[in-house]
Amino acid sequence: MPTFKLDGREIPFEPGESIIKAAWRQGIEIPHYCWHPGLSAPANCRMCLVEIKPAPNQRPVMLDIVELDRATGEYKPVQKPKLMPACQMPAVEGQEVFSDSSQHVKEARSHVQEFLLLNHPVDCPICDQAGECKLQDYWLEHQGTQKRMRDEPIHKPKGVVFGPTIVYDGERCVMCTRCIRFMEEVAKDPVLEMRERGNLNEIFVAEGRKLDGNYTFMVEHVCPVGALTTQDFRFKARVWFLRSAKSVCQGCATGCNAYLDYDPRYNKAHRYRPRDNEAVNKFWMCDPGMLSYKRAHEGRITEARVGQKSRATKEALAEVKKLLGDVAPEHVAFVLGAQASLEDNWSLLALASKMGSSRLYWTGAPAGASDDILISADKSSNQKGVLALAPNAKPYSVLLDDVRGGVVTHVVALGSATPAAGADDASTLGMLRALVAIAAHDDGALTAIAHVVLPACSWAEAPGTYVNKDGLRQLSDKALEPIGASKPGWEQVAAVAKQLGHDLGIKRVKEIRAAWLGTEAAAHASPAEQ
Amino acid sequence: MLKRTDYLTKTYGKPEGWTLGVYERECHGYQTARRVLSTMKKDDVVNEAKKANIRGRGGAGFPMGVKWSFMRPHPTKPAYLVINADEGEPGTHKDRTIMELNPHSVIEGCMIGCYGIGAHVAYIYVRDELHLSKARLWAAIAEAKAKGYLGARPFGVDYPLDVVVHTGGGAYICGEETSLLNSLEGRRGEPRLKPPFPAQAGAFGCPTTVNNLETIAAVPSAFHMGCEAFSKLSAIHHLNDGGVRLFGVNGHVKNPGVWECAVGLTLRELIYDLGGGVLGDKPLFAIIPGGSSTPVLRADELVHAPDEKSPLHPWHGQSVLDVPLGVDTFRGIGTMLGTCCATVLAEGTCPVAAMHNLMQFYRHESCGQCTPCREGSGWLLRITEKILDGRGTMEELDQLHDIANNIMGNTICAFGEGTAMPALGFLKKFRREFEAYVRGEKKKSTDGRLTVDHHDFVGG
Repeated sequence: MPTFKLDGREIPFEPGESIIKAAWRQGIEIPHYCWHPGLSAPANCRMCLVEIKPAPNQRPVMLDIVELDRATGEYKPVQKPKLMPACQMPAVEGQEVFSDSSQHVKEARSHVQEFLLLNHPVDCPICDQAGECKLQDYWLEHQGTQKRMRDEPIHKPKGVVFGPTIVYDGERCVMCTRCIRFMEEVAKDPVLEMRERGNLNEIFVAEGRKLDGNYTFMVEHVCPVGALTTQDFRFKARVWFLRSAKSVCQGCATGCNAYLDYDPRYNKAHRYRPRDNEAVNKFWMCDPGMLSYKRAHEGRITEARVGQKSRATKEALAEVKKLLGDVAPEHVAFVLGAQASLEDNWSLLALASKMGSSRLYWTGAPAGASDDILISADKSSNQKGVLALAPNAKPYSVLLDDVRGGVVTHVVALGSATPAAGADDASTLGMLRALVAIAAHDDGALTAIAHVVLPACSWAEAPGTYVNKDGLRQLSDKALEPIGASKPGWEQVAAVAKQLGHDLGIKRVKEIRAAWLGTEAAAHASPAEQ
Repeated sequence: MLKRTDYLTKTYGKPEGWTLGVYERECHGYQTARRVLSTMKKDDVVNEAKKANIRGRGGAGFPMGVKWSFMRPHPTKPAYLVINADEGEPGTHKDRTIMELNPHSVIEGCMIGCYGIGAHVAYIYVRDELHLSKARLWAAIAEAKAKGYLGARPFGVDYPLDVVVHTGGGAYICGEETSLLNSLEGRRGEPRLKPPFPAQAGAFGCPTTVNNLETIAAVPSAFHMGCEAFSKLSAIHHLNDGGVRLFGVNGHVKNPGVWECAVGLTLRELIYDLGGGVLGDKPLFAIIPGGSSTPVLRADELVHAPDEKSPLHPWHGQSVLDVPLGVDTFRGIGTMLGTCCATVLAEGTCPVAAMHNLMQFYRHESCGQCTPCREGSGWLLRITEKILDGRGTMEELDQLHDIANNIMGNTICAFGEGTAMPALGFLKKFRREFEAYVRGEKKKSTDGRLTVDHHDFVGG
């Protein structure tokens, strides 16, 4: 791989790559606002200016500026080299680039930073971006001086509702055009544009349109400052109180990598943020996915139920023993959950095997809409994983047939939702002598009709492994403490096993992974785990 | 050296001078295009054009023939010639006269230019406010089409040619060539990043040459007489600054206007011989040599070029007023030739008010795409305005050059320099006046005019 030198350090690059991107790949940040690795480079913020040593056959481009001699009050002519934006300039083999090591670059950056804050309201105390704002970060790193302009700044429209999800503040905007470019280049819906001129510039939504569709949250995410905020998150939390867990979105089979931001003080999830993964979601997530963090709290099963009445888990387990204790294993079906983690599913498989049943089925969420950007029609996060774990598991429709046929009389299921249900599904399930459901959410036929429900942790409360539609195995970390009486699904399965006189031999999630993967686990670490 | 010519301006002042009949009678109209298209090869046209040493008339002074030579045939895409007639620089008023009074020279120039660079269509991007210019160009195109000069087979040659007038989007920035291309395509008029240069990817992503209107209008004359001979009309032909061009003068002169002269004219000749001298016979105070972006010259400045190798050495120690108006000569004296339309400031003009006037313009016209220009132009105006209003502080005065220094070179297009250079120019040369305002020794005139202190310009 060819290399160039950035502040004396060798940086490898792929031909055609810009200086800023090559540095970014090495974990070196050249300060920037408008550049984004997933978008085109407009080079408009001028924060990434660097000094490039001219090739031996090139003359340096020098610019005439002046210096004030304070003693005489006269200006004297001086020169400075022409700086170039690192986001626009392609890296060139052997080239020497000076970023932090150039005094001219430092000077330019501090001034660009001052220019950007010149008409900015500096309303950090009431701004949702505070704490994760580029203007704040770079002010500390590259400016550090008071604003010299003491006059009233320019005023622009504030609190402009762009659509159902996004609110715009023109005064905080640095005109980097990331939002415009995201809508045009990624969402393929060029609904945002800039209007006015000079320091009156503002972003606006095309006449007769709203900023809507499935990718509006991303404009807030790409906004480096507090100009764009989401209706969902604004005024809800200060980011410095939040902690982030590396999560995997459960909204569909794409398995977008995300940070789940939560407030540990209240054990409450506040939002999702995309976590960069070139192999999966690149830098993006869809709106339904971004909002799916709410499922950490909404629709949850937080206590055990017997006959649809709340009971202590202990009582529910006793009921399980009563229902399943003396049943011939060939009548007991085990329904794997395509929305549950591999760990949970593995433990259910282990239970089936201990009980000597080979009646395996699987269930998951009903299919839904899809697009060719991120959204998959398969709304279960782990169908691929379940089918890899139990290739012989039969679909839910076969389960219903087998129930009607009287072959299956007892069911232990992971999850609640069922794929596109028929009208008589409920009555079919009603024929069961026993239905034990272990689930986090109360969103389907299985928990609605179950004789016993055991509360499972949601994906947010337990680490879990999920295999996305492309077969990529991804780890989602624990963010929240288990809510109510919920426990990780595999623990509930192990408890059921114990009631029925079996020992699954697992006490920690690590042991499950070791059991199913052996040494393979480390080798298959997905980018999400690295 | 004052040498008036009439290659571009022969039809000026003639009855119906803008019509095809007059152009054909007086200017060998379209004979040159006929000869070029019928007898010359494309590459020969470019080589010949280089010999004319026509420095781009739009302000930057890039040699036209060299620009043409950057055009390489694209395997799939057509090439375009785009003519920049978005004349909007304050103090610049030359292209308009050509469009109004000699539009056929533009059309014929476009034909030769298109042929040379391998284009079949030329777009003339005309500033929208110039209604007569547009009307005259449209009429000229219609006449040329009716005669078959423009069309599928001009002069029987199998080289289809068309010229299209595009009305501008109403912003000064659209005169910047890549901004102009965006505007031409129907996009927001914001400069593009370079590279790619227009010759690689210009209008509609196709190889494009953008020439100033006066540049292209000079082409028929140059090719008619032979490009080398045309270049030699200039007194500074040896400095690769050839031919004839339009010289304008405005501001505090008795006889503001536009004249065609051989290159080599001096500011003194322009102001006194052509412009009739300073209004009210006042002493000359300062000159903005070629449009508002070019740094101001003080009337009492002398050329400092002791080095014998310097092209300016022959004028060492002389007044800047006696240096021939040329691209490199004026760069040498620390300013720019720009569009070659000088703005004259008479004694009594307030340089603070003058700079304020310019800063208003640049703040208003900054497209706002990139940070230093968007915010810096507004900040320069704020401080200049405060100083002019007597509210400025010494601290703020000392910020002005720092702001301009950090706009300079840090922007996407040359508008940044166009804002910073005049600001630095006024500061460098008139710092004392700025200080006087800050100290309260001088106050803004209340009559609202650019000039202060003296009222005898009225009606002068």
